[in-house]
Amino acid sequence: MNRITVKITGPAGMGIKSAGLLLAKIVTDAGYYFADYSEYPSLVRGGHNTYQITFSNEEVFMVDKTADILVSLVAGHEEDRNNLWEIPLPKDIYANTFSIGALVFRLGLDKIKAKKIIKERFGDDLKNLAAFDEGYDWAFKNSKKINIDAPEGNDNKTMIVEGNEAMGWGLVKGGCNFFAAYPMTPSTGVLHFLAKNQDELKIKVIHPEDEIAVASMATGASIGGDSAAVATSGGGFALMTETISLNGALGVGVVYILGQRPGPATGMPTWTSQGDLLFAVFAGHGEFPKIVLAPGNIEESFELAQKAMNLANKYNVPVIVLTDKMLCESAANVKELSKEKLIIEKSTKIVPGQGFYLYNSYEHDDEGFSVEDSEPAKLGVEKRLKIVEEIKKDTPKVLLLGSKNAKKLIVSWGSTKGAILEALKGRSDYAYLQVKTVWPIESEVGKIINGFETKILIENNATGQLGQLLKSQMNITFDKKILKYNGRPFFPHELKEALL
Amino acid sequence: MIDLKSKNIPTWCPGCHDFIIFACLQQAINKKEIDLKKLVIVYDIGCSGNMADFLKVFGVHSLHGRSIPTAVGIKLARPDLTVIAIGGEGGIYGEGMAHLIAAARLNIDLTVLVANNQLYSLTTGQTSPTTPKGAKTKSTPQGAPSVPVEPVSLVKTVNPEASAVHVTCLKPVEVTEAMVTAFGNNGFNLVDIDQLCVTFGKQLNS
Ligand SMILES: Cc1ncc(C[n+]2csc(CCOP(=O)(O)OP(=O)(O)O)c2C)c(N)n1
Ligand code: SF4
Repeated sequence: MNRITVKITGPAGMGIKSAGLLLAKIVTDAGYYFADYSEYPSLVRGGHNTYQITFSNEEVFMVDKTADILVSLVAGHEEDRNNLWEIPLPKDIYANTFSIGALVFRLGLDKIKAKKIIKERFGDDLKNLAAFDEGYDWAFKNSKKINIDAPEGNDNKTMIVEGNEAMGWGLVKGGCNFFAAYPMTPSTGVLHFLAKNQDELKIKVIHPEDEIAVASMATGASIGGDSAAVATSGGGFALMTETISLNGALGVGVVYILGQRPGPATGMPTWTSQGDLLFAVFAGHGEFPKIVLAPGNIEESFELAQKAMNLANKYNVPVIVLTDKMLCESAANVKELSKEKLIIEKSTKIVPGQGFYLYNSYEHDDEGFSVEDSEPAKLGVEKRLKIVEEIKKDTPKVLLLGSKNAKKLIVSWGSTKGAILEALKGRSDYAYLQVKTVWPIESEVGKIINGFETKILIENNATGQLGQLLKSQMNITFDKKILKYNGRPFFPHELKEALL
Repeated sequence: MIDLKSKNIPTWCPGCHDFIIFACLQQAINKKEIDLKKLVIVYDIGCSGNMADFLKVFGVHSLHGRSIPTAVGIKLARPDLTVIAIGGEGGIYGEGMAHLIAAARLNIDLTVLVANNQLYSLTTGQTSPTTPKGAKTKSTPQGAPSVPVEPVSLVKTVNPEASAVHVTCLKPVEVTEAMVTAFGNNGFNLVDIDQLCVTFGKQLNS
């Protein structure tokens, strides 16, 4: 077989995800590609936590929903028992390493290399190595190896990184040297990563009293000359909207990472959604320029976070990176991000020490002094909005994939990309358009979409928000909308069926 | 003395004590000989915050209640700067109270000047966090229901090492002195300034 999915389940606090990530490391080291996905309730102990990974000698864009092998670390977590692999696990903290040992045998992976990885992860804790050996030996005696197509290398993409960490790297590699955040799932990982590595990455990291302070401090830091970014989710972003409007008035660039989860209100904190697109696009009162970028996978999470920093510095406007739980907390193998090139866009803003200027939230003239007369008021508005056309030339372009002869087009944004690419593998009847800059919308988008006979919209929300935007901006209508809004991402088989 | 006034003529009501704070602030900056290249003033929204247009000092006229976190951000980015935040008690003790407490706890080197007139004046005279209990205002015609905030003891309670003083525009020399001292302190400084609102203050005597 050329693709296999393993799922590990158990209660929170058992190290489900860390066991899963170990397996990810082992298969990556072997030269496979993988995609993963984890589910957990908003609890610190207990509940039903899962980690699943699909790996293959071909690129994997999204995990399969159904596991070929299910390993339950604790009784009661066997799900529907479908494909359950019953392993006599020790009833202690070493159950996860035991299971990894068993899986390494069953999946035909290299024992010595795997042990090296276990050692790197746990140091010389001999009990972990012993548990691994016991698991391996048990599987050797009691199970058969599964025949999986041999890996053919993974293009040197050997760094395993979660979306949040990839965005942290992207910010830093875009010149970010000030980061503030108030913890909120699913983007808390950005805060953890940057806080932990602040000295090495030469970035100031602060966790202020609330999200209003987060955004205000980032704005102040940006005025002071730093390149500033923040990360949050819907509820925190709601509090930041007054500052986004302020950024628009002042002409101060700040990057906002918005990790979506299902709302409204507290919603389902640890699940995924694309429900905040229109909220992000229209965040903040008044009319002012703003950029909203939407990465479709973990590599793009890095690239677009970096690009967001550059755009914020260049155009002095708020830039939102719109991602979601699916991307924030899933991992992928990528090129070593610490070695990526630092790309810094020279800032054009006036900073203290460069003479007089008043950054003014009131409508203002060129020195920053308040104005209320009709002419300068009008000029102020026009000056602000003028740069939108320049911005449009500089923002990430859409990605159009698929056969030239295709008559049907799928349009989407963000994390749905993975499942769409999986569903379209080996098909030539569909083309696929990924919108990376959801605001301001490129004029090109309309032309491309209208060039197809059948138009299909895929979104992880209930109201087809990109569709609404395209309708209002370009009068585009879709023949079919495939929407999912239960906190779960699209899985490949669902889209394969929907696109038959 | 360096002239710090901008081209704009202050728009405060004749007799407003904001003129006194305006004069004291210019004196204090001069007295302390602060290098203008190293000075940023962040203004809140309110009558007192309107000073943004009247001074020619690198500034940020931020949002109602947000002058403190904006100032904190500037100071974190540029520790070499002298950073001053100025606002009314509505912005600093009301809308932005959480930020006052957090900045005092952080003990970040910042001076916060509060023009405390016991009312929301720019919005034409509603109750504020320091309005005496029972005072009739436009939004509390039956009397303000809450006890007033005690800013100095509040700051001292959250951080005994932070500096917090109370002065009054009736004694301008002391106002200037309090500012000069605050600029010289390392750490967080609150200067709470009694400021008469000549237009709406009459309500408070009702
Ligand atoms: C978020 C927000 N809410 C309300 C207002 C309207 N507003 C402007 S000034 C002000 C109160 C001013 O009172 P204070 O801060 O005490 O300053 P003063 O005018 O008395 O100097 C209010 C409520 C605003 N600008 N922003
Ligand atoms: S309304 Fe009151 S505080 Fe405002 S300018 Fe007039 S007197 Fe001063």
